[in-house]
Amino acid sequence: MTIEIGSRRGFVAMLLGGAMGLALTGAAIAQTSGQPVRVGGTLALTGPLAATGMVHKIVGEIYVEQLNKKKGLLGRPVEWVLLDDQSKPDLARTLYEKLVTVDKVDLLIGPYATGAILSAMAVAERQGKLLVHHTFGIPNLAKYDAQFPAWHMGPVPEKTVAGLLIDALAASEKPPKTIAIVTSKFPSVHFLAVGARDVAKAKGLTEVLYLEFEFGTKDFGPIAARVREANADFLYMGSIGLEGVQLLEALKKLGYSPRHHYYTYPAPGPMALSPDAAGALSTTVFEDQPPFTNNPGAAAFAKAYKERAEKAGLPYTLADVQGGASYAAWQILEAAVNATKSLDDKKLAAWIHANKVDTITGKLRFNEMGNYGDDLSKVKQVQNGKWVVVWPKEAAAPGAKLIAR
Amino acid sequence: MRRYLPAGVLTGVALALAGLPLAHPPAFVESILYLVFFWIALATSWTILSGYSGYFSFGHGAFFGAGMYTTANLAGPLGVPFLWTVPAAGCAALLLGLSIGAVVFRVRRLRGELFALLSLAVTFVLATIVLNTRLDGGPGVYLSGVKLPKLYASPASTIYLLGLSVAFASLIAAWLMRRSKLGRGLFAISDDEDVAEVMGVPTFGYKLAAFGLSCFLAGAAGGVHAIFVFYVTVAETFSITVPLYVVLMGVLGGARHWIGPAIGAVFIIGVTYSFVGGDWALAGRAAVGLIFILAILFLPQGVMGLVATKCRRRRAPPEAAATTAPALPVVRTLLPPGPVLLSCEDVQLAFRGVRALAGVSLDVREGEILGLVGPNGSGKSTLTNVISGYYRPDAGRILFRGKDLAREPGHRIARLGVARTYQIPRPFARLSVGENVALSAMFGAAGLDREAAERRARECLDFVGLGDRADALPTALNLHQRKFLELARVLASGARLILLDEVLAGLAPSEIDNALDLVRRIRANGATIVFIEHNMRAVLALADRVVVLNYGQLIAAGLPHEVMRQPEVVAAYLGGAHA
Repeated sequence: MTIEIGSRRGFVAMLLGGAMGLALTGAAIAQTSGQPVRVGGTLALTGPLAATGMVHKIVGEIYVEQLNKKKGLLGRPVEWVLLDDQSKPDLARTLYEKLVTVDKVDLLIGPYATGAILSAMAVAERQGKLLVHHTFGIPNLAKYDAQFPAWHMGPVPEKTVAGLLIDALAASEKPPKTIAIVTSKFPSVHFLAVGARDVAKAKGLTEVLYLEFEFGTKDFGPIAARVREANADFLYMGSIGLEGVQLLEALKKLGYSPRHHYYTYPAPGPMALSPDAAGALSTTVFEDQPPFTNNPGAAAFAKAYKERAEKAGLPYTLADVQGGASYAAWQILEAAVNATKSLDDKKLAAWIHANKVDTITGKLRFNEMGNYGDDLSKVKQVQNGKWVVVWPKEAAAPGAKLIAR
Repeated sequence: MRRYLPAGVLTGVALALAGLPLAHPPAFVESILYLVFFWIALATSWTILSGYSGYFSFGHGAFFGAGMYTTANLAGPLGVPFLWTVPAAGCAALLLGLSIGAVVFRVRRLRGELFALLSLAVTFVLATIVLNTRLDGGPGVYLSGVKLPKLYASPASTIYLLGLSVAFASLIAAWLMRRSKLGRGLFAISDDEDVAEVMGVPTFGYKLAAFGLSCFLAGAAGGVHAIFVFYVTVAETFSITVPLYVVLMGVLGGARHWIGPAIGAVFIIGVTYSFVGGDWALAGRAAVGLIFILAILFLPQGVMGLVATKCRRRRAPPEAAATTAPALPVVRTLLPPGPVLLSCEDVQLAFRGVRALAGVSLDVREGEILGLVGPNGSGKSTLTNVISGYYRPDAGRILFRGKDLAREPGHRIARLGVARTYQIPRPFARLSVGENVALSAMFGAAGLDREAAERRARECLDFVGLGDRADALPTALNLHQRKFLELARVLASGARLILLDEVLAGLAPSEIDNALDLVRRIRANGATIVFIEHNMRAVLALADRVVVLNYGQLIAAGLPHEVMRQPEVVAAYLGGAHA
């Protein structure tokens, strides 16, 4: 079963969403003809990663509709052949093989989550296909030459992300002198925390606590006790999903609030709305706020996303890092096809290597290790129940600055 | 030849599938078939322990994971050629399984749900160890640099062929085991482990063998799968999904049949992977869940359980009206009591301070029927359990043909020639009447091979009048018939000494006469009988000698009529005021 945008069903869907389409494109006249260009990919639409998988699905639907309301790709309508990998990397591998060898799609776009992306990357390598993916978290594992990341965290995020963070804090009213690092052993989180230790040391912070816990930990009481005991100026938590909120709840029970506190990949809604999370820091490459939305395309996307996310009943309806990177992946693909006027994987890969692509997350280049370029991460902070970008200054929301306790 | 047909068909299918890569199918075909092979291997290896022996394991993910990480570490950081790592992965899982089994299987209470929970705990413990050591340490093990040998067609075909090989090996192992003595023993363990042990099944060794083989196959499957996914992480490897899927496959297909889990695997993978369309993903998964629920509701024994039931119904003749034993010729003539066959010397046993046996000494002579009587709680059944090896005495010796049974396990005692029945019959509920008896002939003192045991079972069932019920399940028998089934089992075992524990309890008077006649004829076949009974009329009619127990002590011994008149015996039965 596929989403056949460009087909009759897709056309009906377009009519139903006509008003939104007008807002998105400003010219809702389909100018496509011929056989559709088929873009294949899988997402975790069911299983434990489905909540984030749904974000990428909504973004892809928005983008493909936009494409088809313009001129598609090469004047042909675009069909997104989307399959559900059920959050299983082994199934992702098998389905990418199906997409390439049975469905014979023209282009590939990545799945969600590190394991599935690595599986898809290996298939693309064996089959000689180009792969653009959304949110791959461990750049040093991206070894295939024709894979391109949309989430630009730089080739060595284990150095740059922590560096950005500590620089932001150093410029705040209360620069930290000590750091406590507590990290989940989730792969894409853990290596960043390990790197943060070295960065903190190099930037003159004294490490007063380093703790690792297993992914899936629910009882944060003992960890909270150690954090309170260490009483560091800056709590760095390598976390994913709800782990950050759970630690904050455990700290509250002990009557302790960290001064500066950072979380790697928090579930955006619960963290923003938690009464204990005021001042929580994280990083992002896109948020539904200026200056990102000063770009009309980004603003239209953010608006469309919010509408769809509300309709789909998502718990957090503002476009953020996942949605932004997902949109950027489609932009990379579109830019390469339009520039080369080709669907040839080798030509497309060569072009992407040699050029910068303008996306809603910034200008992306792909000529360093793992085809990463600049680290476009920004620091965001929970302020008054909302995520607000606070650093660097030029990327900060109007009037926003990092608040220190 | 017909009995080898399944293996022949399986081999033919495997060979045909092995030739598939030569046709250069799309990579997807090899991949999806590999996933089917992978789950067949895991589900079948699970059933070798859990389906056959009834030790329900939720820890199969641990052994699969041990294999994954063995290959990941050997082929990755250590650079061992990949093909060598697959058997190594199997061996690592085997060692892990054996070391766990060697401890767990010795503890009698670690059965059923406790074993299931313990096996699940093993998964968590292993995951923690892997996560906190250099085996992983947190970031996962990435195997992109591992060179895949090209067996033929392409390197990708290597994974396909290895998956096929492990699945084929698992199925053949399950098939061979089901037909073997080991398999029969495991089925007996599954139904009633204590009875199986006393009947001669070396339960500890058999469980360990099944566990080891199960783990080896799961580990080898894990070794291949590490290369298939090539990014090995703790969260994925030790997720609860693996054991849940494996159990579901076994239950759906029929865990007690060698091909059942494979059928379950094909069905579940087929249904699960049929619903991968993007726009109806949730509805698809809901449909899959509904299908599973319906299948479990309407196929509680699985597909192969249903097939077996249908076959049994077709084979079984209508129940005969008369179920009494026909008058069969006596095989041997009555022998006068001979030398001492069994000698209990000061046997003592206490349960938490309560002395069940307070120094019992008695002899059983070859060829006699010894009546063992006493009021409730006098220690008769405890003594039977001690002689048959279910309990180990605290002190004393039990000499049987010169060998002390006091420290021997139950299965060895059975092999030496001791068999027993149970007051409440304890047949193996899911084995047919004929299989129940044949099992006794295989594992008891007779030690017959399968074919000879089946012949012997037919003879014994004819002897007790159950010849026409051989294909029925024990649940289809009435109490009288089940008592006779117990007698057929001890008869088939070829035991020199038979302990009959209240074999007449619950029988009608006419049935008692039949049973007494049968006991006489069993003795006439050369067996020595200890006849534990409350029915004094029967004891007086049948026993050559009688011993009386009270409060765990021997209070009288001698000829039946004399013993029953002794004041101590009367007092024991009727209370002190009547002495």
